Amino acid sequence: MAEQKYDVIVIGGGPGGYAAAFMAADLGMQAALVDPEENPGGVCLYRGCIPSKALLHVVKLKQEALEASEFGLSFDEPDINVKKVREWKNSVVQKLVGGLGQLSKKRKVEHIRGVAKFTDANTLEVEHDGKSQEVSFEHAIIATGSEPASIPGLEFSKNIMSSASALDLPDVPDSLLVVGAGYIGLEIGSVYAGMGSKVSVVEMTDMLMPGADRDLVDVFAKRNKELFEEIMLETKVAEISGKRKLKVKLEGKHEGEYKFDKVLIAIGRKPRTKNLGLENTQVETDDKGFIKVNEQRQTAESNIYAIGDVSGEPMLAHKASHEGKIAAEAIAGGKVAYEPKAIPAVVYTDPEIAWCGITENEAKAQDIPIKVVKFPWAASGRAATLGRSDGLTKLIFDPDTERILGVGIAGKNAGDLIPEAVLAVEMAAVAKDFSLSIHPHPTLSETIMEAADVLYGQATHIYRPKRKKK
Amino acid sequence: MAKEIKMPQISEDAESGTIVEVMVSEGDTIEEEQSIIAVESDKASVEVPAEAGGKVKEIKVSEGDEINVGDVILILEAGENGEDDQAEDEEQEEKEDEQPEGKKKEKAEEEEEDDGDTEAKEKDPKEEVDKDEVEDEENEDADRKEKDKEAEGKNKKEANKKGEVPAAPSVRRMAREMNVDIYAVKGTGPGERITADDVKAAADGKSGDQKKSASEQSQESSLPDFSQWGEIERKKMSGIRKATAKSMGNAWRTVPHVTQFDKANISTLQDFMEQYEAKAAKAGAKLTVTAVLVKLSASALRAFPKFNASVDIENQEIIYKKYINIGVAVDTENGLLVPVIRDADRKSVTSIALELGEIAEKAREGKLSMDEMKGGNFTVSNLGGIGGTNFTPIVYHPQVAILGVSRNQIEPVYEDGEFKPKTMLPLSLSYDHRAIDGAEAARFLRWMCQVMEDPFVMLMEGGI
Ligand SMILES: Cc1cc2nc3c(=O)[nH]c(=O)nc-3n(C[C@H](O)[C@H](O)[C@H](O)COP(=O)(O)OP(=O)(O)OC[C@H]3O[C@@H](n4cnc5c(N)ncnc54)[C@H](O)[C@@H]3O)c2cc1C
Repeated sequence: MAEQKYDVIVIGGGPGGYAAAFMAADLGMQAALVDPEENPGGVCLYRGCIPSKALLHVVKLKQEALEASEFGLSFDEPDINVKKVREWKNSVVQKLVGGLGQLSKKRKVEHIRGVAKFTDANTLEVEHDGKSQEVSFEHAIIATGSEPASIPGLEFSKNIMSSASALDLPDVPDSLLVVGAGYIGLEIGSVYAGMGSKVSVVEMTDMLMPGADRDLVDVFAKRNKELFEEIMLETKVAEISGKRKLKVKLEGKHEGEYKFDKVLIAIGRKPRTKNLGLENTQVETDDKGFIKVNEQRQTAESNIYAIGDVSGEPMLAHKASHEGKIAAEAIAGGKVAYEPKAIPAVVYTDPEIAWCGITENEAKAQDIPIKVVKFPWAASGRAATLGRSDGLTKLIFDPDTERILGVGIAGKNAGDLIPEAVLAVEMAAVAKDFSLSIHPHPTLSETIMEAADVLYGQATHIYRPKRKKK
Repeated sequence: MAKEIKMPQISEDAESGTIVEVMVSEGDTIEEEQSIIAVESDKASVEVPAEAGGKVKEIKVSEGDEINVGDVILILEAGENGEDDQAEDEEQEEKEDEQPEGKKKEKAEEEEEDDGDTEAKEKDPKEEVDKDEVEDEENEDADRKEKDKEAEGKNKKEANKKGEVPAAPSVRRMAREMNVDIYAVKGTGPGERITADDVKAAADGKSGDQKKSASEQSQESSLPDFSQWGEIERKKMSGIRKATAKSMGNAWRTVPHVTQFDKANISTLQDFMEQYEAKAAKAGAKLTVTAVLVKLSASALRAFPKFNASVDIENQEIIYKKYINIGVAVDTENGLLVPVIRDADRKSVTSIALELGEIAEKAREGKLSMDEMKGGNFTVSNLGGIGGTNFTPIVYHPQVAILGVSRNQIEPVYEDGEFKPKTMLPLSLSYDHRAIDGAEAARFLRWMCQVMEDPFVMLMEGGI
């Protein structure tokens, strides 16, 4: 095979990897993308964001159809055809990854199928179908993402599922135990519960969505009291045995033995650097296995960059793509840096939970003085028209400058409301900016404007006696 | 008690420099005045002394970093080096291993607070550091969690760069592209938001020199792609190159230059120098034309005070200097350096020659201190050793004149009805026409030539 030297080679075709490769190509560099799949997409498209959201949409529709009877609109009991749902979900994925494949071709990004390994700081060995080839490069961007963490001593199997196998939707078990109440556990748990499984959740810490602000999580917990069979906090899985019915031994607050048809392990994800040949380069990893990078996402080996899940928290697709573009621009000689002030996080359960910038928890932990104002959706006209007054919008400010440091929203479509907040935090907007920007009526976005008004004691739809200045 | 050692003002017009060497390590015990880092900036590599002694707890900078006046270089535990310190030290080290991210985050937040309250920042750096330590302990758990949250670069050297900065992403990028440290820009917008105008103002507010760097850059980006015509290589400018580029560009734009040429008949001077050489050598000095010209320039500045001045356009004033310091351009491997001979008017040619020898040596070894290059009033640039018939030097702003010297040559001079061979020294005097007019410059240079031709005449007629 004729040897070719690429300006930039990207390892891993996830949202970080393909964004980087496309940007590199757009900047005039010769770029290649290595991934085992036929098309780019990575975890996000094949077994993460996209399939989970497609399935969540299905169960949300079902739930809304059921609730519509309250407004006088009745349907027959929804009937879920699992096979068709699965096919539809797969078709969504195929459509998107196919589109990415086309975009690669149009941009002349070489798609090299296979699994890559560094043999030195300028060469990769790419293996596919038992055949291997050498590829050399000027710059490499590692975007190998992450994989589900497992419980030591517990192998994933047909019945002990990872998020990936759960999203394949092989069937809808009668009972399912979700281990880990982070966003992945709650999202996939919601899917299976919506499809008819009896879903229980076990979580080691004392709250759902550890890390998120409690008042936001409460909005979720209140509405979903019935969704889950049982929520077992401060409890740990000690042992799982049995083949057909799984016997699960729990330790902690809800100690005991329970039986489930299936278990989903969603206890977190770990960066994927195994068998990557990093030992043949200067690239360093930290104690959690993340690749160490600087502001430009450059590793200790100066021509090798790392982005996405493999380069650190938060492990989110949009953070990966942003980093990918920064790395490509840095390679092209741009004066750029990865320096976000607000990375939005969205949990696509019903209600959705979304936040960006600093959280109340973080502020407390770091002793940062903040001022918080909240606007309950009970006072939102739009929420009422949707029959969904269960929501909360809260703004976190710097008390001196009234600069917006963070925003948290729980409620229907919270994820679609958060970008305004991201822009505000990034732009260093102050509360007055929210308050003086006319928001369309009636929309849920008004809750952001009115939350800011609350600060000045002038929210139209809330009456509070005027606060005294300091 | 911990103490921060900050970057001092190393020269009157240098606000920043590049660290070329970090001379101490964490854990070292240093003394007051001990050199801790070497910084290459505005024309020299300077060693920065510690303003206090103690045990180095943490070094905040590394080689290659840009450093600004006021930046923290390192943190000292200024205790008695007693057991307490030791224990604390170990603990600190452990903690650092465990949670670099947490620390970094804290630093970031500290800066965030600073944004909101610069006053507090200046209040007591010691206290802040102490607080940090306490927090370290208290928030160990939280920090661990934070560590998970952190998505930032993990290189330690960036630790102090992170933080809340109230500026839009586009403004932050603009600052980066304009070489403006956004963390040093004060925001004028609501909530102290930094606007695009603030960044531009910061770029302009830098010395004229730095303003140039922005315009230079925009020129740079409009360069054609040379590689289309053949192979090229790009190399970073050295600190000295950057400084020269900046100050010369600045001088060229600020100063309306005129250059006056003349020739001095130095036959007699040469004879005298030959005779005197051995005597000077005994004193350890090498007698050179440059040494003579430095002395002579000093006398000329006395005779023509307009040349010993600076122009203050803003206040529409001319600043006359009552002291006479002469800069001498020295060609070194790393580039042009201009050490200054102080009070040249009060020194003999021999002692100037002696000093020149020492200072040139230091310049070539890169050991000149910033002080040794500051405060010149006039400059002598002698390229005669290399050759050339004449050149037009650029005035070393804010000085108002510079003397260029080229290679002397034996030329036929028509004297007493015949051509006689004479050693002629070509001189060029570039001057700032805002302060000096052509006739004055012509007189100044003629005066110098005449003194070299016949010092006695000048003695008789006055002027020396
Ligand atoms: C169930 C689930 C739901 C999620 N939902 C969301 C969401 O709603 N929003 C969100 O922002 N994020 C979500 N995420 C996280 C998101 O998927 C990741 O943050 C994102 O995919 C990271 O992108 P990446 O580019 O770093 O790598 P990945 O998407 O992980 O892609 C890495 C790619 O590299 C390939 N690869 C690995 N090693 C090699 C090698 N040696 N050679 C060649 N190729 C290699 C892999 O096969 C893979 O294709 C979800 C994740 C899961 C599991």
